[in-house]
Amino acid sequence: MTQLENEIQAVKTEVISMWTLVESQLQKTRSAMLHFDRDLAREVVLKEKRVNAFELKLDRDCENIFALYCPVAIDLRFLLAVLKINNNLERIGDIAEGIAKYIIEPLEDFDHSVFEKTQLIKMFDDSISILADTRIAFEKEDTILARSIFKRDEVLDAINRSAIEKVGECIKDDMNVMSDALYVLSIIRKLERVGDQAKNIAEEIIFFVEAKVLKHQKESSGKN
Amino acid sequence: MSVHVKYRIGKSIGFQALVVLLSVACVIPLIFILVYIIQSGITKINWHFLTNLPKPVGESGGGIANALVGSIIIIAMASVMAIPFGILCGIYLSENKTSKLAYWSRLCVDILQGIPSIVIGIVAYFWFVKPFGGFSAISGSIALAIMMLPIVVRSTEETLLLLPDSLKEAAFALGMPFHRVILKVVLPCGISGIISGVMLSVARITGETAPLLFTAFGNPYLSTNITKPMQTLPLLIFNYATSPYNDWHDLAWGASCILLIWVLLLNIFTKLITRKWTVQL
Amino acid sequence: MDSTIVKSVNYNAYFGDNHVVKNVNIDIPRNNVIAVMGPSGCGKTTFLRGINRMHELIPNATAKGQIMLNNEDVMEMHPIFVRLKIGMVFQRPNPFPNLSIYDNVIAGYKLNGIKLPKAEKDRIVEHSLTRVALWKEVKDSLTKKGSFLSGGQQQRLCIARAVAMEPEVLLFDEPTSALDPISTSTVEELFHELKKNYTLIIVTHNMQQAARVSDKTAFFYMGELVEYGETKQMFTNPSDLRTQNYITGRFS
Repeated sequence: MTQLENEIQAVKTEVISMWTLVESQLQKTRSAMLHFDRDLAREVVLKEKRVNAFELKLDRDCENIFALYCPVAIDLRFLLAVLKINNNLERIGDIAEGIAKYIIEPLEDFDHSVFEKTQLIKMFDDSISILADTRIAFEKEDTILARSIFKRDEVLDAINRSAIEKVGECIKDDMNVMSDALYVLSIIRKLERVGDQAKNIAEEIIFFVEAKVLKHQKESSGKN
Repeated sequence: MSVHVKYRIGKSIGFQALVVLLSVACVIPLIFILVYIIQSGITKINWHFLTNLPKPVGESGGGIANALVGSIIIIAMASVMAIPFGILCGIYLSENKTSKLAYWSRLCVDILQGIPSIVIGIVAYFWFVKPFGGFSAISGSIALAIMMLPIVVRSTEETLLLLPDSLKEAAFALGMPFHRVILKVVLPCGISGIISGVMLSVARITGETAPLLFTAFGNPYLSTNITKPMQTLPLLIFNYATSPYNDWHDLAWGASCILLIWVLLLNIFTKLITRKWTVQL
Repeated sequence: MDSTIVKSVNYNAYFGDNHVVKNVNIDIPRNNVIAVMGPSGCGKTTFLRGINRMHELIPNATAKGQIMLNNEDVMEMHPIFVRLKIGMVFQRPNPFPNLSIYDNVIAGYKLNGIKLPKAEKDRIVEHSLTRVALWKEVKDSLTKKGSFLSGGQQQRLCIARAVAMEPEVLLFDEPTSALDPISTSTVEELFHELKKNYTLIIVTHNMQQAARVSDKTAFFYMGELVEYGETKQMFTNPSDLRTQNYITGRFS
C-alpha cells in the first residue's frame, strides 16, 4: 500500500466514525423525544462539539493530503466527496442538536397522539435508517445502494408535505396540543433536511465512485 | 518534381558517392601492402625459419631466431619500465585535472609523444651507450620505453576520465581510502581501456627501428645478454633489405611478414580484450 | 537516547571564494525523513555533502562550523569514519559495474578489505536486499553484474549497499531524478520502511516528492536555510513568503 492509500484509508475510517457518531446523535435524540429524557437531550447538545471537532479534523486531514500527495482521479474525487460529505454530516449533527434543544425547552412531555398522527416516529426511523444505509453505501462504495437513497428521501418529503395539514388537524381536534404540534412541525421540517443531506451524500458517493455528476439534474421521479 | 529538387537530390547522391569512394580509397594502399608483403614473405616462413640463425652470405636458408628472441626481450624490458610508470602517471593526471603539476606533466607527455623516434634514439645513444662503452639491449629498451610512455599515459588518462565521477563518489561514500578507491574501483573499471592502450603502445614500438639503430645496434648471433648488442626484427629487416644479397632479401621479407602478423595479432587481441573486459557502465 | 541525531551549528561551506552554504543551523531528529528542497544552486546538495564530508573531495572546497553526529563533531573525525556512519546514495544509480550484485551489496566490506565469514556475508546480503525490497527480484541472479538491473533496481541496489554498512544516517542526493515514475514510487515507498531503522536526509528538486515522503522539510534559498519545519505545516501554511512563492511555483 502506498502512503497515499494509507492516508485515504485513514480518512475513510475517520469519516465512518464521524458518521456513526452522528447516527447515534439522531438515535439518542429520538429516544430522548420518545421518553422525554432531557438529560439524554442535553448529552446530544454536548456531544455536538465532538461532531464539530470531527469536521475540523477531517478538513485539516484533507487539506494536508491535497498539499502533500496531490491526489488524482479516484483519490481526488474521493477527497472532494469527503469534504462535502463531512459538511453534510456536520449539518445532520446540527439538526440532531436542534431537535434536542426542542426537547429541553418544553416543561411537559409531548402529547404522543401528535407523534402518531404526523408519522413523526416513522420519519425519525426512516431518516436514521437512510443515514445508516448511506454510510454502508459509502463504506462499500455501493452505488446501487446509494441510488436507492433518492427514492427513500421521497417518503420523507411526502411526510413533510403532508405535515402542515396533519398538524392543523391536530390543533383543530385539540387546542391543548397546539405548542406540542408546533414543536413537532419544526422537528419534521428538520428531519426532512436530514433526508436532503443524505441525498446529497449519496450524490457525492456516486460522484466519487463513478465520476458522474447527478446534482441539479431533473430526475424522472419529478422531485428536483 | 521540380528541377530544383532533382538537382538537390542529385547533389546529395553525388556527395554520398564521393564519401564512399574516398573511404574505399583509404583501404586500397593497406590491401596492396598486405598482399605484397604476404606474397613475398609467407613462402619463407616455416619452423626452420623461426628457429634458426641467419646464415652467412652465400648460403641459402637460415632464419631469424635471434631477431625474434631479441625483439621479445627488448619489448618486454621496455614494457616493464614504461607500463607501471605510464599507468600511475595517467591515474595522477585523471585524478588531478586542474593542478599545476598535472598541467605541466600533461604538456610534457604531449611533447614527448611528438618527439621523432630518431631523436629519442640519438639521446639514448649519448646517455646510455656512450657512457657505458658500447651498444646494449637495455639502452634500446630504455629508448623504446620513452616512446611507449606517452601512449600509455594518455590512454590511461583518457580511459579513466571516461569513468563517471559518481563511481568514485560511491566508493568514497562507503568510507574507502584513496588508494583502495583507485586500486579496487577505478582501475578494474577502466582495465580494458588501459590494456588496449598498452597493447597499442607495444604494437607501436614493435616496429620502431630508428632508436634501436643507435642503441641495440643488431647482432647476427643469438644473444640474451642485455648489456650486449641484440638483434631485433626491424633492425634485421633494415640491415638485410639494404644488403645486396638475394638470400638476405628473402629473410627480410619473411621477417616483415612476421612483424606484420605480430602487429596484426596484437591489434586483434586488443579488440578481443576490449570487447570481453569492457565493464558495462 | 537523544532524539536529535544530526545537528549543524553555524555551518558554512565555500567553493573557493564562493560562499554557497551560509550559517545553517538545523536539528535533525532520529528516525525521521528530512527533505531538503530549494531551487538549483541554493546550496542544498553542498550542505548534504557536507554532512558526510564528501564536500571536501572537491578541489578548493572548504567548510566552517560544526556538524554534530550524536553530539560529536564530524569535522573533527576522520572522514573515512564519518562516511561509515553516514551512508550516501547518489542522483544516478552507480553500482560498481565490475562487481556482481552480491559483491556490490558487500562492497563496503569487500573493497575496504574487511574479511567476513561466508555465512555472515550471506546474511548481510540477504538482509540488506530485503530491506530495500530487492531480495525477491534478484535472489536468483546474485552473481550477475549490477549493471544488468533496471535503473530503479540499480538505485535500490545502491541503497542496499549503503544499508549493508549499518550506518545511522542515510543521505540521498536527488535519488529519483534519474528514474521513471514507477521506480520513483518504489523508492519513495522504501523511505517509509527505511526510516524505522535509519534517519534519512533527502535532497530533492521535486517538491511533490518532498511533500510525499518527508516528516520535516528544510527550504534552502541562496545558501540560506529559509525555513525548516513539519512538512504538513510547510505545505499548507509556510511561514516565510519565499517558501510560499517557491512551493506555489511563483518564484521569479
